Amino acid sequence: MNSACKKIREDIIKISHASGHGHIPTCFSVVEVLYALYKHMRHDPQYPKWPLRDIFILSKGHASLALYTVLAEFGYFAVEEVYSFGAFNSRFGCHADRSKIAGVEASTGSLGHGIGLAVGAALGIRLKNETRQVYTLIGDGESNEGTVWEALMVADHLGLENLTVIYDDNRSHSRGLQLVNPKRKFEAFGFHVLELDGHDLNALQSAFNTRVSGPKAIVAKTVKGFGCRTLSDHQYEWHRKSPSKDQLDLLMEQLDAQAV
Amino acid sequence: MRKQFKDTIMDLSADDDSIVLVFGDVSVYLFDEFKRKYPDRFYNMGICENTLISVSGGLRSQGFTPFVHTITPFLTERSLEQIKLDLCYNRFPANLVTCGASFDYAWDGATHHSYTDLANLRLLPEIEVLQPGSTKELDVLLRSQYNSDKTTYFRLSDHPHQIDVPVAFGKGVIIRDVGADLTVMTAGPILDNVLQAASDLDINLVYFHTIKPIDIALIEKFRQTRIVVIHDAHGLYEAIAEVPHLSLSYYGLGDHFCSWYGTVHDARHQLGLDAGGIASYLRSQIQKEGRLHVL
Repeated sequence: MNSACKKIREDIIKISHASGHGHIPTCFSVVEVLYALYKHMRHDPQYPKWPLRDIFILSKGHASLALYTVLAEFGYFAVEEVYSFGAFNSRFGCHADRSKIAGVEASTGSLGHGIGLAVGAALGIRLKNETRQVYTLIGDGESNEGTVWEALMVADHLGLENLTVIYDDNRSHSRGLQLVNPKRKFEAFGFHVLELDGHDLNALQSAFNTRVSGPKAIVAKTVKGFGCRTLSDHQYEWHRKSPSKDQLDLLMEQLDAQAV
Repeated sequence: MRKQFKDTIMDLSADDDSIVLVFGDVSVYLFDEFKRKYPDRFYNMGICENTLISVSGGLRSQGFTPFVHTITPFLTERSLEQIKLDLCYNRFPANLVTCGASFDYAWDGATHHSYTDLANLRLLPEIEVLQPGSTKELDVLLRSQYNSDKTTYFRLSDHPHQIDVPVAFGKGVIIRDVGADLTVMTAGPILDNVLQAASDLDINLVYFHTIKPIDIALIEKFRQTRIVVIHDAHGLYEAIAEVPHLSLSYYGLGDHFCSWYGTVHDARHQLGLDAGGIASYLRSQIQKEGRLHVL
């Protein structure tokens, strides 16, 4: 495991323990995706509103703690501040708010919204003849929402070459309406699809660098709770749960055992 | 009124290249001139109302001024959460322009009747809710509010009234103040019917084209009278009721679907909202008070 990604996971579980909040397994599934993306994107933590920046919208808004800890890792703010996660006066809510945190491009939480905003942002950027890119991360459970597929249709219709949709294929909804063969579905909706191991930083970097004609989808095969067997083996129990002190120690031990 | 919408947009777009139209397969032919003149700023984005809203929020995030346009119930009822979150909460304001409100599409039945839009939207923070009743009202309000810092809802009608009233955003209009004990408050194209019904009755008449923010100061002027809200939708009564301790009642829609067809005039007749029905109701209200004054 990449040392920065390991550190981000440690931050996530420590903040979840301290705050009593957090969707840890879904955050763990996207750590490498977000880390690789922020390594790839044009952005400036010292100048979050830089007009030439690329845009990332976290459509699966409940992974906010992963976004916060990744943004902290890249220097947008001190990670210590995120320990107020979910508290009354905190600016770090359990779903991220763009009006409170520089670096958060859209306030999301209700599923199936961020991707539509991303399509509109990509269209707007193209209208301005700018070369900036727009990325959005959607969940597989989120993709039960019809609005996801509306947005994909519109993106294909508009031929948005500056849009990349990342699909977190962590099988979070295997007990419900699990999408079968998402790659085929994205292709049917007109996207150029790259399927990869969502915990492989090199594969992610390569996929972000791949130029395609038309909108791009990255199907990231991930594991909920990646890095901690306690989480990945009991993902429904841990879907929204804060670890006790003993559980935190156990999870930290499991992360420690990961090779870096 | 849709033609006025087009004319005003054409005029505004001559000086404002931030205007982008996002249409849900409605009024597309009408805006052919705009499409020819500004091909990269006109999108018939299809029949996906939720996404029309979300995409418009994204366009706004990049500095554009979006207009979303389609049929009232599909935009305002199906997409209420997109309006709430993607436009209002995110503060990516857009202009929402609908047609077919109330019973303009009476013949299409209950799926196309729409009377909750004003009531639902006015509950959202960061939104302005307008019901222009005439082409002049639409023109003035569109020009003054289309690039405000809030999402603005324009409820168009295919049956505008022809009465010339003063228009200023947020300001109600006293059509008639005869010092009567009964005041009728109304909004939108049904002003025609109300004015006709009230022509020989001793009542005051107040009209609104802005539902939110409602003109509280104007309402306060009639506090000492009994106020009856006559409206072919929900929302105006609730807006006026924000002023506490009024003597206030509503005459309009009941707690049932309108399952007939025909025209807007048929619907109004059936609901007692044609001039005759309104007149009968007002006479009964005046008689109840023991004061029937014929002017």
